[in-house]
Amino acid sequence: MSTATLRSGTSARPRRAAPGARTAAATIIAVACLLVAGCGSKPAPSASLPAAPAPPPLTTSFAAAGGASWAVVEMGGSAAQDDNFWQVFVRPAATGGWRQMTPHGVADNGGLVVASPGSGSLVAAFRPSQLLTYTPLAASTDNGASWSSAGPLNASLASAADALAAGPNGQLMALTSGGTKAELGQRLGTTWTRLATVSSLNATPPGRACQVTGLTAAAFSGSTPMVAASCGRPGVAGIFADTAGTWHAAGPSVSGDTVDVLALAASGSGLVTLLRATSRTSASIIGAWYSGGRWTLSSPLRIGAGKLGSTALGPGGSIGVTWNAVKGATLAGPGKAWQTLPALPNRASTLALGSQVEVIVANGQTFRDYQLASGGWSLTQTLHVQIPYGSSG
Amino acid sequence: MNSGLNDNNPTLVAAFRAALLHQGIYVLLIFAILAVAWVSAREWLRPARAARFVTPEPAWRQLLRVGFGVIWIFDGLLQAQPAMAAGLPSQVIEPTASSSPAWVQHVVNWAGTTWSYHPIQAGASAVWIQLGIGVWLIAAPRGFWSRLAGLASVAWGLVVWVFGEAFGGILAPGLTWLFGAPGAALFYCAAGALIALPERTWRSARLGRAVLSVLGLFFIGMAVLQAWPGRGFWQGTVHGQQGTLTGMVSSMASTPQPAFLEAWVRSFASFTAAHGFAVNLFAVIALAAIGAGLLSAGLPEVGLRAPAPWLLKATVIAMVVLCLADWVLIEDLGFFGGLGTDPNSMIPMALVVVAGYLALSPAPAVVTEPAVVTEPARPEPAAAAAEPAAAAAAGSGSATAEPDPVPRRGWQAQPARLARSFGAASTGAVVAVWAVAIVLLGAAPMALAQTNRNASPIIAQAIDGDSAPMDSKAPAFTLTDQNGKQVSLASLRGKVVLLTFLDPVCTSDCPQIAQEFKGTDQVLGARARNVELVAIVANPLYRSTAYTRAFDAEQRLTKVPNWLYLTGSLAQLQQAWKNYAIAAEIVPSGGMIAHNDVAYVIDSAGYTRNELDFDPGPGTASSESSFSVELTNAAERFVRS
Repeated sequence: MSTATLRSGTSARPRRAAPGARTAAATIIAVACLLVAGCGSKPAPSASLPAAPAPPPLTTSFAAAGGASWAVVEMGGSAAQDDNFWQVFVRPAATGGWRQMTPHGVADNGGLVVASPGSGSLVAAFRPSQLLTYTPLAASTDNGASWSSAGPLNASLASAADALAAGPNGQLMALTSGGTKAELGQRLGTTWTRLATVSSLNATPPGRACQVTGLTAAAFSGSTPMVAASCGRPGVAGIFADTAGTWHAAGPSVSGDTVDVLALAASGSGLVTLLRATSRTSASIIGAWYSGGRWTLSSPLRIGAGKLGSTALGPGGSIGVTWNAVKGATLAGPGKAWQTLPALPNRASTLALGSQVEVIVANGQTFRDYQLASGGWSLTQTLHVQIPYGSSG
Repeated sequence: MNSGLNDNNPTLVAAFRAALLHQGIYVLLIFAILAVAWVSAREWLRPARAARFVTPEPAWRQLLRVGFGVIWIFDGLLQAQPAMAAGLPSQVIEPTASSSPAWVQHVVNWAGTTWSYHPIQAGASAVWIQLGIGVWLIAAPRGFWSRLAGLASVAWGLVVWVFGEAFGGILAPGLTWLFGAPGAALFYCAAGALIALPERTWRSARLGRAVLSVLGLFFIGMAVLQAWPGRGFWQGTVHGQQGTLTGMVSSMASTPQPAFLEAWVRSFASFTAAHGFAVNLFAVIALAAIGAGLLSAGLPEVGLRAPAPWLLKATVIAMVVLCLADWVLIEDLGFFGGLGTDPNSMIPMALVVVAGYLALSPAPAVVTEPAVVTEPARPEPAAAAAEPAAAAAAGSGSATAEPDPVPRRGWQAQPARLARSFGAASTGAVVAVWAVAIVLLGAAPMALAQTNRNASPIIAQAIDGDSAPMDSKAPAFTLTDQNGKQVSLASLRGKVVLLTFLDPVCTSDCPQIAQEFKGTDQVLGARARNVELVAIVANPLYRSTAYTRAFDAEQRLTKVPNWLYLTGSLAQLQQAWKNYAIAAEIVPSGGMIAHNDVAYVIDSAGYTRNELDFDPGPGTASSESSFSVELTNAAERFVRS
C-alpha cells in the first residue's frame, strides 16, 4: 500500500456553500441520528386490555353417592416437551384405594376429559396434541377396568373439565373449537350433529341476555342437553337448556360481576354448578344447586386473582376447589358454608370429594393420596405410575 | 426452514466434502485449460501490444480490492466448514432473524428454506462464489473486469446482507455498533461499489471526503444509539442478571476457541459486568468523537475550512484501534465455533475508513506502459483513448489507446482476433477469467436446484440411511379400505404399490409419513396412475373405518384417488404386521402405540423390491419433501411410464 500524505483542500479551492446547505446538512444529520436511534427500538406497549377469564382446569374429580369416584391427574414431565401424560384414576367404591385406569391407545399429552352417565360407565376423550387434530374417544362399562374405542369426534375438544358430557342411551355432548361450538353425539359418538354455537346462542333471547363469549361446560339433565357459558353481561350465569330445539335460560341470577361456569353436572334430580364471578380486580367462587324448581347459591368464596388448580364435585352436591397451588375450600352442599382447607401438600394436583376430603399429589411418576384428618393431611396411598417419557416425541 | 438435522450429520458432511472435492477438480481443470490455451495463444500467435497510457491504481482502491479480495477468500474457506451444509439455516440464518419483524423473518425464511431443501448445492455454491469473487478482485487490478468484480461483490454482499444477516439486524431491537451494526456484508457492498467506480473518480479527493463524511454520520448515529437510555447498555448487570453487552460478550466467550482468546473475552465480560456504565460511556464518546472527526473531512464541500491533517489522521488511527479492540474483545473475531461465516464487521469497516482516508490524496499522474513487440510493426490506425478491445476478457483494458490491427466487428469478431486478444491478455486477466468461471461454477448448480421445488433426497438418506433392495414375493393381505370395500394385494397387481403402516390416532410420525406419501404422489405426477399408495392400520385398539376416515380427513387424503387406508379385524391386522415385520405395541399410561416406521416398494408383479426406513425425523418441510423424493426415486424404476 503506497504511503499517503494528506493535503486537505489542495485539489481545488473550496466553494462557499450557501447558508441553506449548512442547515440542510445539520438537518440531515439530526434526522439520520433519530432514524438510526429509532431503528430496532421496541414499540411502545399497547394499552392493557382486560384479560379473558382463564378456562376451567382439566384436573377434576367426580364422586357419586355410595358409588365410584374418578379423578383426572396430570403426571410426568413438561407439557412443553410433550412429556406430560394425563391419567385417570378410579376408586370403584366409596371405600378402597385408587387404581390407575387410563385408557390405552392414544397419546394423551393434550389432556383427558372424562364423563359418566352413571352406573359404572365412563367415556373418556383424548384432547388432541401435536399433529393429531381430532378427538379419539374411549368407553368403559366397568369403571375403567377395560376400555373400547368409541367415536371419533372429528374436531378438537375444548380445554375444560366438563367439555364432554354423557347422557342416557349413548348420547354424548362435546364442546369444540375452543369452546365456540357444541356438538351432540349419538351411539357413543359414532355420529355427531351441531347443537349450538356461540353465535347461534347469542341470536336467542337468553343468549342475548347473557352475551355469550364462550362455552365452558356441558351436561345432561335427564336426556335434556345443557350447556354453560361465560357471559359478557354482569349478573347472569349462562346456563342453557335445549328443549325441543329451543334454548331456554336455566341458570341463576348472580348480582354484580361477570360470571362464567366452571363445572356443571346432574346431581340427583337436579343440577350442581360451580360459578366464577369476576370483577376488575378479583374473583369469587360460588356454588349453586338447582332442585325443586329453584336455585340455591352459596356465599361467595373470594380467591382474589388466584389461578384455579382443580375442581371437584362430590356426593350430595358437595363442591370443592383449589387455587394458587396451596389453597382449597369445600362446600358440603346447599345451605352450607365454605370450609377452608389447610394448606395443601406440595404439588397438589386434584381435589377429590368422597366420603373424605382428599388431595391427590402428582410428582413425576408418583401418585400420592392425602386425606384430611384432624385438621391436617394424612398420606393414605402411594402408587408408582410407569410414565412413557419421550414416547410422544 | 431448517432440515432439522444435526449440523455434523455424517452423511451430509461426507456429501458436502465430496461435492467440494468434485467441484474443486473442475476448478483446477478450468484453470489448466485456460493456462494451456493462454500459453498456446501467446506462443503461436505472438500478439503485440502497443504502448499504453494508464492511470495507476490509487492506493485506496488497491487496499479495498486486495483487502476485500482476501476477506472474500477467507469467507469462502469458512463456508467450507463441515457443519455449514446442514447447520447454516438453523444455527446462523434463523437465529439472526429471530428478533426482527415478521416480514424480515419471512424473507429470511425463504432463503433458509431454499438452503435446507438443497443443502449440499447451497453450501458448495457459497464456497465457490465467495472464493471466486475474492480471486477476481485480486486478479483484476483495473478496467472493465475489475469494475465488474466490484459489482459482483456488491451483488453477493447484498444477498448475504439480506438473507444471511437479516438486513444486518438493523430492524431488530438491540442494534449496536459494538455487535456489528449495520452488518458486515454492507461494507462488502460499499467496498465493491467503490471499486466499481469509473477511473475519472480516482482523480478527485471528493470521493474520499464523501466516504469519510458518510461514515462520520454513521458513527455519530451509532453513538446516539449507544447512548439511548433503556436499551440495557448502561448497566453491566441488571437485578443480578447480565446486562445487554455483558450477556453478548459472555455468550461469545462460550464459543469454542483458543484458550487465551477465551480468557481475554471472559475478562472483558467480567470487567463490563462490573463497570458497565464506564464501558458504555467510553463507547459513546469514542464513537461520537470518531464520527465528528470523520465528518470533518467533508467540511470543504460545504465551504468550510478543512480540518488539520493530524486531526483526521488521529481519528482514523483511533477508529482502527477501536475496531480492532471490538473485534477481539466483543466480536471475538467472529469466525469460531464451526459455523462462523466471516470475521464480522470491524475489519471490513476499518478497511473502508482507511480507504476513504487514502482517497483524500490526489491520484498519481498518468504513466506510460512500454509496448510489447514480438513481430514487425504493421501500419496501424491512430491510437485512440477509446474503450478496450472487444476481447475484453483479457481484462487489460483501461483508459488508454490500444491499437487494434483488425477492424472491429463487435459480435462478428473473427476467432483469430479473439485468440490474439486472449494471447495478449495479462496474467491477471487470465486469472480473472478463471475466477469468473469459479463464481459461475458455484452459482449455476444452485440456480438449477432452485428450479426444482422438491428437496434433495440426501436429507432423507442422512436421517434414515439408504433403502435396502429386496427381491421376494410380497406377503398377501385382504383388508377393508376406508370406504368399507375389500381390497387385496392381488387386486392391485399391475400397479406399483407403496406400502406403509400408520396409526390413525398418532400424534407425531404417522401424519408426517402420510404427507410424505401424498408428496410422492405429487412428485410422480402423471406416472402416479400406475402407483397405489397403501397404508395399513398400526393400532390394535383404534382400527375402525371411522378412524381411518378421520385420519384421511385430517391429512387431506380424501381426494387422493390412489390412496388406500386399510384395516380389518385384530387377527387380520396382526397377521399383516407379522408378515411385514411391523411391531405395534400398546404403551400404558397415556402413551402412543409404539410401532416402527417403514415403507415398502412392491412392483407390479407383486414382488417387494425395496424397504425404506421411514422414520420422518425432524418432520420439517425439507425433510418431508426429501422423503417424498426418495420414495419416488425408489419407485420410479418399477413404474411403467
